[in-house]
Amino acid sequence: MKLEVNAVSKRFAIPVLDGISFQAAQGELVCLLGPNGCGKTTLLRIIGGLEAPTAGEVRFDGRPVVVGAADLHVGVVFQEDRLLPWMTLADNVALALRAQGVEARARRETARRHLRFVGLQGFEDYYPNRVSGGMRQRAAIARALAIDPAVLLMDEPFGALDAQNRRIMQAEVRRIWAETARTIVFVTHSIEEAVAIGTTLIMLSARPARVRELIRNDREGGARDPHALIDHLNQVIMEEVLHQQGRAPGP
Amino acid sequence: MAAPGSSPGTAWQRWSRRLRLPTAVVFLAVLVAWEAVSRRYGPYVLPAPESILTGLAAIVRDGEIWKHTGASLSRIAVGFGGAALMAVLMGLAAFLWAPAKIAVRDVVTILNSTSVFVWIVVSLIWFGLTNMAPIFTTFMITLPVVAANVVEGLESVDRRLLEMGQVYRLSGWEQFRAIVIPSTIPHLVAGLKVGFGLALKVSVVAEIFGVTSGIGYIMNYSREILATQMVFVWAVVMIGIMLVTDRLLFESLTRRLERWR
Repeated sequence: MKLEVNAVSKRFAIPVLDGISFQAAQGELVCLLGPNGCGKTTLLRIIGGLEAPTAGEVRFDGRPVVVGAADLHVGVVFQEDRLLPWMTLADNVALALRAQGVEARARRETARRHLRFVGLQGFEDYYPNRVSGGMRQRAAIARALAIDPAVLLMDEPFGALDAQNRRIMQAEVRRIWAETARTIVFVTHSIEEAVAIGTTLIMLSARPARVRELIRNDREGGARDPHALIDHLNQVIMEEVLHQQGRAPGP
Repeated sequence: MAAPGSSPGTAWQRWSRRLRLPTAVVFLAVLVAWEAVSRRYGPYVLPAPESILTGLAAIVRDGEIWKHTGASLSRIAVGFGGAALMAVLMGLAAFLWAPAKIAVRDVVTILNSTSVFVWIVVSLIWFGLTNMAPIFTTFMITLPVVAANVVEGLESVDRRLLEMGQVYRLSGWEQFRAIVIPSTIPHLVAGLKVGFGLALKVSVVAEIFGVTSGIGYIMNYSREILATQMVFVWAVVMIGIMLVTDRLLFESLTRRLERWR
């Protein structure tokens, strides 16, 4: 699935996104980076059809994304797992398949297959509160994958995990991406995380956000030394933060 | 003193907890005082503790206990059952339609500030000496309690979960069934628990007027024929009903519903 973001702008009370454009080919893992509060999550929600842009459009394989369209298959992994605590992990995944017109037995089978895929075999019948935060996020990923999404959106999905679990889950996203060849858009505020997993890194500027830099981070794109890249991005983000503070309206 | 989180105390402390020793001590003290007062002032003022047991045995033997308990509980079933149903409908209206929410809130506040006695008097005027009087009173008193809990439950539904439902294209009904109902049920059960206790207390008061069966009626009747002993016996029956429904019905219901916690 090819993703096109064409001159997307969004205003709430103030302009948040200002003419953002980029493209991602099928099977890319795009990481959205930027200073805190620059509108990364808003951009992700517009890509996922959860919110309409004020101007511009998003296209999947040339077809424009329409908010609320019935045929929009987008898997979203949020900052929180957003599992229903009163349903087992398997039922949570199966619930997402209801709208796809899959019959009950097939829903159960698909749910179990995807839970196995994310390494939750044996935990299918556990309630979310009985497993760790990392396992809950794995279940949320299984749910997002189960609907066979056109694109998988992840909004700082590991922000609440400890450093060790975070590294494990980053490797897991890399594996899932490699095995499913999905197009993934991944929002993170961690430059190290983005450099570790992304094939394309998009650095947004401070609000109103524009694309400040688009960096290929794979072999074809001539990947740079990761440490140099991290240093560079840290410097860019620092500039943006200072820039934003300099523009802050006075008291 | 045992440090919290360490061993559960000495054997003596464990046994004292299991037997509820502190409660037993208080109970014993009350019994002794009761016996003393009873001997000093006579059974008309305070019947002896053991006479309560014999009175209880008597009403079990002649079936009076079932007749009056049944009459009270069937009135509660109609009045409180109707209130619970109405409370759910009010909660739904408030959930689905913003203007209704404001109205429901204000109605609940006003009803909550109304005294039991208002409803008893009004229902006597409207329904006279009939079954409807205690039923109506129970309905009006328990309605705001259950409704407030239902509204609170519906308001506490996590919007982020509803958004997840939208992402996965769940229909309105599926979101309601999978997300809204399970979030609200613990609040509903809490409301029903408090409401039932209130229903029992209120309906008994309302039964003093105009009906010829029920625990409230028979207590008042016992007072009129100077059978103080039976007043106490029926009070014990009431406490028994309350404890049994609380333990057997609501506690097990809560446990079942909260398996996932």
